[in-house]
Amino acid sequence: MTYFLRRLITIVPVLFIAWTLVFLVLQVIPGDPVNLMLAGRPASEEVRANERKRLGLDRPVLERYVLFLANAAQGDLGESYRTRQPVGTMILEQAGPTLRLALGGLIVGVVVGIVLGILAGMRPNTWIDTTCMMLALAGVSLPSFWIGMLLIYVFGMTLGWAPIVGGGFAALILPSITVGLYIAGGFARLVRSSIIEALNQDYIRTARAKGLGPAKVVLKHALRNAMIPPVTLLGVQIAVLIGGAVVTENVFARPGLGTMLVQAVLSKDLPLVQALVVYTTAAYVIINVAIDMLYGLIDPRIAAGRGA
Amino acid sequence: MRPIHWTIAFALVAGTPAFAQDAEGLTVVFAEDSNSDTTFDPRVTQSRHEEQVITQMFDQLVVADSTAKIYPGLAKSWEVSDDQTSITFALRDDVTFHDGTPFNAEAVKFTLDSIKDPALGSQGAVDIMGPYASSEVLDEFTIKVTYERPFPAGLGTFTENELSPVSPTAVKEKGDNGFAQAPVGTGPFKFVSWEKGREVVLERNEDYNWAPEFMDNKGPSKVARIIHRYVPDASTRVAALEAGEVQITDLTPPLDMQRLSNSGDFKTVVAVASGVPFSAPLNTSKGPFADTKVRQAFMHSINRPALADSLFFGFADAAYGPISSATPEYFEGVEAYYPYDPDKAAALLDEAGWTMGSGGIREKDGAPLSIYFPALMEPESAVALQAEARKAGFDVTVENVLKQKQDELILNNEYDMLVLRWVLNDPAVMVIPYHSRNIPEPGTFKFNWSRYSNPELDKLLTDAAAATTPQAREQLYADAQKLIMEEALVLPIHDQIQSIAYSADLDGIRFAPGNWQVRLYDVRPAAD
Repeated sequence: MTYFLRRLITIVPVLFIAWTLVFLVLQVIPGDPVNLMLAGRPASEEVRANERKRLGLDRPVLERYVLFLANAAQGDLGESYRTRQPVGTMILEQAGPTLRLALGGLIVGVVVGIVLGILAGMRPNTWIDTTCMMLALAGVSLPSFWIGMLLIYVFGMTLGWAPIVGGGFAALILPSITVGLYIAGGFARLVRSSIIEALNQDYIRTARAKGLGPAKVVLKHALRNAMIPPVTLLGVQIAVLIGGAVVTENVFARPGLGTMLVQAVLSKDLPLVQALVVYTTAAYVIINVAIDMLYGLIDPRIAAGRGA
Repeated sequence: MRPIHWTIAFALVAGTPAFAQDAEGLTVVFAEDSNSDTTFDPRVTQSRHEEQVITQMFDQLVVADSTAKIYPGLAKSWEVSDDQTSITFALRDDVTFHDGTPFNAEAVKFTLDSIKDPALGSQGAVDIMGPYASSEVLDEFTIKVTYERPFPAGLGTFTENELSPVSPTAVKEKGDNGFAQAPVGTGPFKFVSWEKGREVVLERNEDYNWAPEFMDNKGPSKVARIIHRYVPDASTRVAALEAGEVQITDLTPPLDMQRLSNSGDFKTVVAVASGVPFSAPLNTSKGPFADTKVRQAFMHSINRPALADSLFFGFADAAYGPISSATPEYFEGVEAYYPYDPDKAAALLDEAGWTMGSGGIREKDGAPLSIYFPALMEPESAVALQAEARKAGFDVTVENVLKQKQDELILNNEYDMLVLRWVLNDPAVMVIPYHSRNIPEPGTFKFNWSRYSNPELDKLLTDAAAATTPQAREQLYADAQKLIMEEALVLPIHDQIQSIAYSADLDGIRFAPGNWQVRLYDVRPAAD
């Protein structure tokens, strides 16, 4: 637990640096938040001046930076320039759909990735291996907007098996597959190489010598030991996913943090970008800690080593 | 000039209708091309997307149909003072807001006064109100609105969604920001819920009995629920329409419009938006386009009808003037200017001293005829223009830019041409890109991207907006359009179109004035 707390405290300097960078970058890149908000409207100078005053943009840069840090230290990240809503509320609203899609994509990715990886790893350099690895390659390299449109065309329009933009749980099916196939690609390749490596170990020979069937050997003995590298990769991918999957969100007309971040940056909505930085930084750290703990579950030797 | 084109499905397909009509009634899902709505407070909004939702929930004192003809709305009658400085409205006495608050003169006064208050942060309404001074409640259902100076456009402004009366009780209860998230109006539909970035749900106002007379329907709408679903990707909108998950799509790609209307399962309607068509302002302040002859040659070198045809398959026509054919006071004479004429273009460039150099690019004093064209929208149109102009000897460099980059180039005057469009149902829109006071300066973002300054044009535009007789107004706006075209300040490219496709099982789709938003009150199952 102290380990977890120690990791959590590292967030503070990371946040400070990230905030400062974001603040500086958004000052440097061209564009005035008020003009961006009024995108192409014939708003008068009075309207623009009033908006700048309302958002505090008429104050000096340094004053705004100090004010932001002071408020942030008290847990108040402010209101979005565009929506006039507290940024925390906005992120909470979008976190639900984002996490649901991340979870759906994760399930599809892990299941498909393990199946492809095991099939390939058990029979390396055969046609089964080649086929599985081709599929994995396709998963990583085909762009998600293309996979998304293909799924919509085949399963949404032609076969009518899954809703395209409809509501409820079923609406998660096609987007989850779109995200999942990407995860499955990288995952499958790592599972395959780890399985090949594990199958050459002495303890597998022992297991086989005891008379265990191939399924039991792979699932019970090889897979568990083979999971450390794929799980590490998975940690990185989850961290990306909980930041939102902007392309998939766009194709399937889903709300999410990815879309929100893009809109916030494009409109130079500083408070919202800063708050999203807090969210993603915290999420990265928490997931990394979780993955570390998972190592211990997969391989008790690691936990024992850290405890010592 | 046909501002609205309809196609009608020839056959209704047998089987279950594509919309849900159960015990609770007809649900219509409207797929909208944006997902960035932030407020549904009509007093605050500046977004045509937000207005699509607002127009279902709010009524206006006077209502305009899609041809901009004005009808009584929440006001039964009105009287404009002879000096055009005040309007007295006689209001309906049988209207209530969705929260039960009675609609009366106090509510109108509250709405207008609150727009004027800087604390609200109005982005659209406060400009639309013009020189609004104050409102006086004469009795419970009579109100007198006064302006600081004559404001002939005053009555027309009350047709805008932005000036819709809001429930004073609801605003006081929820605060301005709360009201923007859960608005209360008098319109045919009530706000139910809003899942950000996903959908807005509205339900029928069962008490609604004050529809404007041009609507076919009377009383509550035949539509029980509207689900306003954000679907930013155009292909997904069409796929969802074809799968029956949505019933209406906006900004439908032209290629799909053709196929959908041929299928018989869908109907389509295309409207030309009012305002500034999709155009390219030419920078008159520097570079080759500082020479009027070069601008005119550029205009002659572009085959606009062919361009519009190849980009829009007949769904959008070429544009010819500073305002679109659907805008009031459109001057048809602009259509005679700058027909496609490569010989004329060549002659003009020769006159201006630009001679044909090696490689087909014209030169003057050793410098090539280079045009820098940062394009924010429609890269396909920009590239088509580039190819056309190349034939006349222009070397156009097209760069796809984001808004931030474009704005920086505008503030620093670092461009030869740009793209501009504007939806506004008023010829006064011309002030924005053509009045000299709107030339951008470092630090001040404005929209006269031609950077053209001419006191004569300024006077025409100012006088036209203040004209007190329709004849004078028409003449002044026509003169302004002529002058802009003679000076070749802008290359009008094509009409901005709103392309709606909808299930053949529905009828009663209506455009709001300006031909952008769609009013869903009159929608009903198609008669078969």
